[in-house]
Amino acid sequence: MNLTYLALETRRALRSPRALVFTVGMPVLYYFIFSGIWGSGEVGGINAKTALMSSMAAFGAMMGTMFTGARTAQERAVGWQRQLRLTPLTPVQYLLGKGIVGMLVGLIPVLLVSIVGGIDGASLSAGGWVQLVLGVWLSAIPFAVLGLLIGQLATPDTIPVFTMVPMLLCGFLGGLWIPIAIFPHWLGQVAKALPSYWMADIGHGAVGHGSANLGAAAGVLAAWAIVLGALVMLRYRRDAARG
Amino acid sequence: MRTKTDTVRGAAISLDGLAKKYGEVQAVQQVDLLIAPGEVVALLGPNGAGKSTTVDMLLGLSTPDTGEVSVFGRKPGKAVAEGLIGAMLQEGSLLEDATVAETVRLVHSLHRHPMPVEEALRRAGVAELADRRCTKLSGGQKQRVRFAVALVCDPDLLVLDEPTAAMDVGTRREFWRSMHEFTAAGKTVLFATHYLDEAEEFADRVVLMRSGRVVADGSVAEVRSAASGRTIKAVVPGADEGQLAALRGVSAASLRGDRAELACADSDLAIRELLARFGNAHDIEINAVGLEEAFLALTTEEETA
Repeated sequence: MNLTYLALETRRALRSPRALVFTVGMPVLYYFIFSGIWGSGEVGGINAKTALMSSMAAFGAMMGTMFTGARTAQERAVGWQRQLRLTPLTPVQYLLGKGIVGMLVGLIPVLLVSIVGGIDGASLSAGGWVQLVLGVWLSAIPFAVLGLLIGQLATPDTIPVFTMVPMLLCGFLGGLWIPIAIFPHWLGQVAKALPSYWMADIGHGAVGHGSANLGAAAGVLAAWAIVLGALVMLRYRRDAARG
Repeated sequence: MRTKTDTVRGAAISLDGLAKKYGEVQAVQQVDLLIAPGEVVALLGPNGAGKSTTVDMLLGLSTPDTGEVSVFGRKPGKAVAEGLIGAMLQEGSLLEDATVAETVRLVHSLHRHPMPVEEALRRAGVAELADRRCTKLSGGQKQRVRFAVALVCDPDLLVLDEPTAAMDVGTRREFWRSMHEFTAAGKTVLFATHYLDEAEEFADRVVLMRSGRVVADGSVAEVRSAASGRTIKAVVPGADEGQLAALRGVSAASLRGDRAELACADSDLAIRELLARFGNAHDIEINAVGLEEAFLALTTEEETA
């Protein structure tokens, strides 16, 4: 992997304060709003705030990775991607670089929410913290790839629609905002096909809220990453021509 | 300097029977073009003539429906990967949130045998803009930065799609001056342009495209004489096309009803001849012709001669 390319991509991602505040700040803001509403109640024997922390970490990882990838639509629109195709940079290297940067950006909200939650009184074992930060972060890989796919499909004007719809669907149905226990049975089954459900499951497992099925989670998340990754490659190869 | 013995052999660019369709639109049909190393070729033509589509296929950005493209004996993708081609595409294509130096350095880092970043910046005349964000550049400055991006891989072939479109006259002159430094080293250039003066001043050879075809291909000297031609339009009762075309000073004639259109190499002579032969000619107009018409008239004449 070309380090100059990665370094520049990372710098560029961090240079966009508006996008960063949105993806990094929102989960933290939500944490404070919801924890203010729920107070220090308990959900299934777990401190509500702690459960919220894990949900918001997952939400932040999802947004951070997806939005970063989706921004690729802008450089595609101005023709920069075509310019890069005229270098030895291969499609895999290009997309991998973008995906890595998306994952780096996605790590920021996970860390931030965890730190805020920890200061706010969440108490986890060392293993719990590792599973929360590392597990939630890694389970955002399908969303980093989804972001890239959106970036290859959307125009700068349609980025908001392309990102908000999957984000809201995955957020709600995955149980990031409301527990899927209150869903009708069939909807609960649908939820289990979504990457966000397993992402949340890993997070909830980390804070002792239910037990995460790590094997199933890894399987579903990997399947999403592979299918989406194949679609991105297909689309990238087809999109070389103008317009 | 790296040596590329392979590149000396054969053509720099070879397009053979190229055709490309976008939906129902036949953007390019049956384009054949052979460009030798060291040639500087202008690709002229109106919008929609197929210039950009041809350039895209040449660069491997799109695949021809039929036909073969080869650049220095290689498939376009391979030539690109080897850093043999530098290109300035038609669209904006600069990162808005990166500086000039970052942009050029990135492309530099991707190639295997690039020239130093500083040299590319200097040759494109943007050394003093190195730390500027690409959003804070004028149109002409952007074009020069894109030139630096095209140059930094130290290519043997430069492909420029309307390189001076956003430049004022002064910047344009400066741009071509920096291009001279490139061609003086015997490198090959293909550039698409709308400006006749650029083609005249800079190219060895001019290729004219229209409706997806190469309709004329000739030296600059031919273009120059063609561009100095004029057309005479007049109502000439009782004339036929053969008689009109045979008039001295006329290179081609067409007749629709009584309305004649004469492409002239020497319009002064032609009008005297016309009035001497056809005293009843009226509604006479004499116009300097556009490059395309003149060039076409010239090449048509050559073909029939």
